[in-house]
Amino acid sequence: MGLRFNLASHDIITGIAGWRIWLLLAWQDIRLRYRRSILGPFWITISMAISVYSLGFLYGHLFKIDLHQYFPFLAIGLLVWTLINAIVTDSTNALIEAGGYLRQIKMPTIIFILRVVARNFIIFAHNLVAIIPIVIFCGMSLGWHTFAVFYGLVIIIINAVVYGLILGMLGAKYRDIAQVITSLMQVIFFVTPVMWMPKILAGQYGYVITLNPFAQFIELIRAPIMGGWPSQYCIVMTLVLFLVGFVIATIMFVRIRHRIIYWL
Amino acid sequence: MVIKMASIELKSVIVDFPVYGANARSVKNSLLRISTGGKLGADNNIISVRALDNVSFRLEHGDRLGIIGHNGSGKSTLLRVLAGIYEPTSGWCYVEGKVSALLDVMLGMDPESTGYENILLRGIIMGLTREEIESKKDEIAAFTDLGGYLALPVRAYSTGMQLRLAFGIATAILPEILVLDEIVGTGDAAFMDKAQTRFSSIVEASHILVLASHDLNIIEKLCTKVLWLNAGQIAFMGDCQDGVALYKQHR
Repeated sequence: MGLRFNLASHDIITGIAGWRIWLLLAWQDIRLRYRRSILGPFWITISMAISVYSLGFLYGHLFKIDLHQYFPFLAIGLLVWTLINAIVTDSTNALIEAGGYLRQIKMPTIIFILRVVARNFIIFAHNLVAIIPIVIFCGMSLGWHTFAVFYGLVIIIINAVVYGLILGMLGAKYRDIAQVITSLMQVIFFVTPVMWMPKILAGQYGYVITLNPFAQFIELIRAPIMGGWPSQYCIVMTLVLFLVGFVIATIMFVRIRHRIIYWL
Repeated sequence: MVIKMASIELKSVIVDFPVYGANARSVKNSLLRISTGGKLGADNNIISVRALDNVSFRLEHGDRLGIIGHNGSGKSTLLRVLAGIYEPTSGWCYVEGKVSALLDVMLGMDPESTGYENILLRGIIMGLTREEIESKKDEIAAFTDLGGYLALPVRAYSTGMQLRLAFGIATAILPEILVLDEIVGTGDAAFMDKAQTRFSSIVEASHILVLASHDLNIIEKLCTKVLWLNAGQIAFMGDCQDGVALYKQHR
């Protein structure tokens, strides 16, 4: 068992140290997706802008909420949701798609999880451009709390890596996982306060938000941009989630890392 | 300067391949297995193939090992174990030295990327920096003779051109341990000559060579030792001439 653990930690350490590899793979994914299109990766920004501005107008009026309040709320929510959703669904296929590399060259397994996380953060950066005008026009209050955004991003990254690894391993072993997760995420979207504001559910159904990890991750980024600190509960929960994920990922990875290649 | 000696040691290596049926790996089956108390279908779905059975040997600095055997005798699996891709189900494989493996030409090449991008990609994966790749790029380009084609996506290449590129990239760095599977003969005569020369120089430079091939002439020419695999087990391991003679007799 000791050797298994050493090999697993060696995989993780050399994988993270091989940032050149996963960063290049991530960039290449983006480049290939938009190859031969005139606007290239700028399409990411445009499609985000189209969703945010049209949904903002539509639902702002439907819910009868002040657009100055609703637009930034929706934009940041959608931005973070898109990031998390893509990481979750991509991770289930991350190792399967890496089969071509893993069968030919000895490479750390974690590289292909980091590639998914890096790729989606590059997309996130493109999406960010689309919502900057909203945040500025609708007035955002800068202050010490703004720095909490960086804390939130770090928490999201570390959670993405541990849960991405878990989902990647599950997805490689059980080929239904990817389908299950994709449908599940569609449902979760509706019970997560992205389109609707949390105060609608305050009281009796408050648990829909408090027990929803996705709602907490979004809150971690949204609160500081909207001009406040994320709640203590939110900070603790996302940290606990990471620790739980870290333990599960470690146990799974140590036990099955050497078998993954046979599943691909 | 301390010269690190390359070495390989395998100790009773067993590799079992799980061969999954069309739906063996679904959650449904796992759940069924739980609900039926682990009896129905427990492991019946998963057929396991023993690709390597109790393989032990040792290679020292300077050894050139040829692996021979029929199709499905475990040659490629053994190469993948040496390259660190497959970890043995039981037993151990110790490898001292940096291994470079050329197993399957197109694996690890991205057909949508251009030749130059593939050079960069493969170089980075092999642990080079951008600067190091930049310095090797012209050499690789000259070797492959692909000229303007290097700026085109690899999917537009013919099989022979893909081979040129893959061979050029994979052999641009001199490894301590070189693991090769069946030198593919899809290049034209001019390229094969070139590849032959390049190949000899790598073989010269590498400290340990492991080569699997059906071509006994190549084995005799390049190798000092031979390992004959039969159904995953070692049928013969030792001097090249003896092994090849025995193998010919047996055939």
